[in-house]
Amino acid sequence: MSVISRSSLQNPGSGGRLPVAPRSHLTTVVIWAVLGGMALYVLAPLVFMLTASFMPAKDVMRMPYPWIPRGLHWQNFWQAIRGNDGSFVYVRNILNSIIVATAITVSTVLLATLTGYGLAKFPFKGSKAVLLFIVATMMVPFQAVMIPLYMIVTNMGLQDSYGGLILPFLVNAFGVFLMRQYLLTFPDEMLDAARIDGAGELQIFWRVIVPNSWPAMATLAILTFRSQWDNLIWPLLVVQREEMKTIPLYITRFASEKYTDEGAMMAAAVIASFPMIVLFIALAKYFVGGAKLFAARKG
Amino acid sequence: MGRLRLGCLCVLGLVVALAVPTFGVELVFWTHEDPNRTAIEEQYIAEFESMYPDVTIRRVTYPSAEIAQVILTAFAARRGPDIFNMETEDEYPYIVNRRVAPVDPAAAGYADLQAIYDDYLAGTLDAVTADGKLYGLPLELTNWCIYLNKKYFREVGLDPETDYPKTWEEMVSVSEKLAIRDGEILQRRGFDFRYPYYLVSLLPMVEQLGGSFLSEDGKTAIINDAAWLEVLTYMQEWGPNGNNLGSPTYTNARKLFNKDNNDVAMCLSGLYQIGRIRADNQEFYDSGEWMVVPFPVFEDAVNDYRCNYYGHYYMVNAESSSENQEWAWKFIAFMLSHSEEYLVECGLVQPKNSLLASEAYLSFPYSDVFATDMAKSKMVMLHEANPRFDELLKEAVESVMLTGLTPQQALDTLRRKANEILQEG
Amino acid sequence: MKRHSRQGGGIERQKARWGWGFVLPALVFFGLFSFYPIFNALYMSFFKKNLLSLAPPQFIGIGNYAFLFRSPEFWNSLKASAIFTACTFSLLVGVSLLLAVFIVSRKHIQKLMQMAFFSPAVVSSVVAASVWLLIFDPRGLGNQVVNAILQTPGVDHRWLASATMLRLSTVLVYFWKYVGYFTIIYIAGLSSIPRTLHEAARIDGASSWQDFWYVTFPLLKPTTLLVSVVSMIQCLRTFSTQYVFTQAGAPRGPIDVITLSIYNTAIRDHQIGRASALSIILFGIMLLLSWGQFRISRSEDVSYL
Repeated sequence: MSVISRSSLQNPGSGGRLPVAPRSHLTTVVIWAVLGGMALYVLAPLVFMLTASFMPAKDVMRMPYPWIPRGLHWQNFWQAIRGNDGSFVYVRNILNSIIVATAITVSTVLLATLTGYGLAKFPFKGSKAVLLFIVATMMVPFQAVMIPLYMIVTNMGLQDSYGGLILPFLVNAFGVFLMRQYLLTFPDEMLDAARIDGAGELQIFWRVIVPNSWPAMATLAILTFRSQWDNLIWPLLVVQREEMKTIPLYITRFASEKYTDEGAMMAAAVIASFPMIVLFIALAKYFVGGAKLFAARKG
Repeated sequence: MGRLRLGCLCVLGLVVALAVPTFGVELVFWTHEDPNRTAIEEQYIAEFESMYPDVTIRRVTYPSAEIAQVILTAFAARRGPDIFNMETEDEYPYIVNRRVAPVDPAAAGYADLQAIYDDYLAGTLDAVTADGKLYGLPLELTNWCIYLNKKYFREVGLDPETDYPKTWEEMVSVSEKLAIRDGEILQRRGFDFRYPYYLVSLLPMVEQLGGSFLSEDGKTAIINDAAWLEVLTYMQEWGPNGNNLGSPTYTNARKLFNKDNNDVAMCLSGLYQIGRIRADNQEFYDSGEWMVVPFPVFEDAVNDYRCNYYGHYYMVNAESSSENQEWAWKFIAFMLSHSEEYLVECGLVQPKNSLLASEAYLSFPYSDVFATDMAKSKMVMLHEANPRFDELLKEAVESVMLTGLTPQQALDTLRRKANEILQEG
Repeated sequence: MKRHSRQGGGIERQKARWGWGFVLPALVFFGLFSFYPIFNALYMSFFKKNLLSLAPPQFIGIGNYAFLFRSPEFWNSLKASAIFTACTFSLLVGVSLLLAVFIVSRKHIQKLMQMAFFSPAVVSSVVAASVWLLIFDPRGLGNQVVNAILQTPGVDHRWLASATMLRLSTVLVYFWKYVGYFTIIYIAGLSSIPRTLHEAARIDGASSWQDFWYVTFPLLKPTTLLVSVVSMIQCLRTFSTQYVFTQAGAPRGPIDVITLSIYNTAIRDHQIGRASALSIILFGIMLLLSWGQFRISRSEDVSYL
């Protein structure tokens, strides 16, 4: 095996052969074994959840767990949507979750990319300190800031409203950090080329950075959406009317001690996972396609 | 043109409606969720609002596992609701810190304070009495008895009507007969304790043997070592390091009992469990293959104490305006006056003398078993440091059952830590 | 800040201004919703205050901190957090990188595998907790699977009972929850390395390992730093897993991580001053560890030119 030289890295076009690296059988077997084992570990609880959603509560708690439901117990889903009080408020709750999570995701991705860009490509004095400050805000547990935050939001009169649910989460430190790290490796000469062409900084942001950062933006979008989708403590404190509640509150209600129907709870959880799955599938092409975009543009 | 005029009129009307100052009282009422109770209380709200058109009541429900935290946050931010309820142990600090308002007997429809005490079973208002004032009215009081599944008893050759365990020693032998094991793993348990709730169910066991958690003057913790050692030894022998009859790590018994899936033969629960059996498993409920028997007593017990009771009391925020407070008590009393409906629809027992003597209560299945036990029991101990005492008891029991400490070691740690907490004040 | 060359000075200053401009909106937001509550917590940590009491907070200086450092429970929490973080962090960073590399190397199943590993995230935490509790029940899947593999029927592995197993159980659940997150972050990082670079390396005769070590890994440094810092912070912030387990009856001692202690001090004991002090201590630990990681990976300006 020849040693890779810097020069050959710098002249990517050299040579005419198609690169073919031999893969040993052992490597393949190991790769598949690890992937397979991990996949089983990761998927088992979900298969449980899915199959349990089709069983009556009696069977869900049975040990050993009867993996295959005896029949499709659609009543669980009906019960989940209908709610224990027959008000179908779950539909509204799902809508609330979608509105809140989408709003937060859009604003987070935008603001995080903006801020991350500023921190990555504009060396100003104190940018490292700003980054550390921002990352530091991730380090305080929610319990410590819960009460002051609650007071701020209620003083602004935003409790029990979309504003109160969305405002405290407009941008998060993790997003800024992610985008900054990603944009560090963004090729400077593309930016310089655009500047030479006379584009203003904001135009560069919109026309050069954003269209070419999809992998990171899509990743951030899905992770942010996910955290908000699952946020229990904040909506619990801030929301009072049933119609403004979000999905985790609804599911906790089902799981609450005095009225457990485990089958319906699993059904409610299955329903709640659809938007996440849809979002993931919609965004997945950006994770995969990102590399192609990058290479095509560069070349 | 017509539509435009109509539109303008609508807008004008809206502006006028919004501009007119709203008179009247708005009460905010937070409680834990319970679909049956929500149904009847919404009804009471509608009735009350039509009786008093200037009053609006906003009822908000929270999951019972989270409500304590939500109310605590709201009160810490000084934005608590007008009316609320939580479990007695959680409500106690609100009384100590003067965050709740005393009952207004006139508003609640009583001649005076004594009339309220006369209306309720003796001692059941002690938990919310402080400095001669009353701070809450009971929504429910619960004590626990033993539920058993008759089928499994008969399966192992026992007659449920006569062979049910009357002493804790019998509980061990009966559970052993009922247990089905696969190696170390219990596939079916006979009985299992209601594990995290030691102040409610473990303390009476100690008190049966003459011990207690606090001394008379409340300054020392852990009285009568012999009693404590006997109970800790009992728990050690119950657990995986002893006879292996149960453990805190199994799914709790009362959850599994209703399913009738051969998971557990007995569990410890309150009157409300009956409603849940019916909701969870109508077949099992109708079959009548279940029954309720009293809380067991040790063979060498010196006191006949049964399981402690705890409850929920409706309380009013001390920072609400005095007008709101008056209406709050009026509304609470109005709701609670429907005690029979609370019993029949929700399985909640208010300790009102009139209810306990009523036909509805007497004909409610097994109400006599619960009532007899309640007469021999006390309210769960109330102290500001209760949650921490509960933790210490949990630690003590778990260390003998799971970690393998000796009862003496666990007791010494318990005594030391409990007294430290008392000293902290 | 005078610059030596006038021309350079103009561009530098302009860049600095734009930098601040881009960063300002987020800073304002963080100021109100993050910094203010944090300073509030810092301030509170020097007082003794009962959450429910209407009496004003009592200034006690470093009293809370002194109490904590003298309390065996605090040191137990520290130990519990340390053990949990060490195990979970190493698993998360290592395994997710491994998975990401494997997934990227098999393009045709990439989408499927990504979805599979990310799927724990689509489950609500409330539901996930109850599912895992059932798995760790002595009669549940946990014992069934291990006994089947080890051919030891009827043995109870004490998932929620023995201290070691309990810690392992929390690690298993947390790792399960988050491995997908970090895998897709790594995949995003890997995808931003142009294929042309890999092709060049292969043309030069590099093996897969050399390709990884000399091309991929250096360019992945920013992503690795991100994953490393964030996963460490996440592990130190763990709460709901331990909370749910202790609520369900597991012993608290072995898994009494600092965040659980903060929660109990505030919500159970109503001692907000002491809880704030605990939060600040945790904050300090995370700051120290993150700063350390930043220092270690000093060569951040990696680009392939």
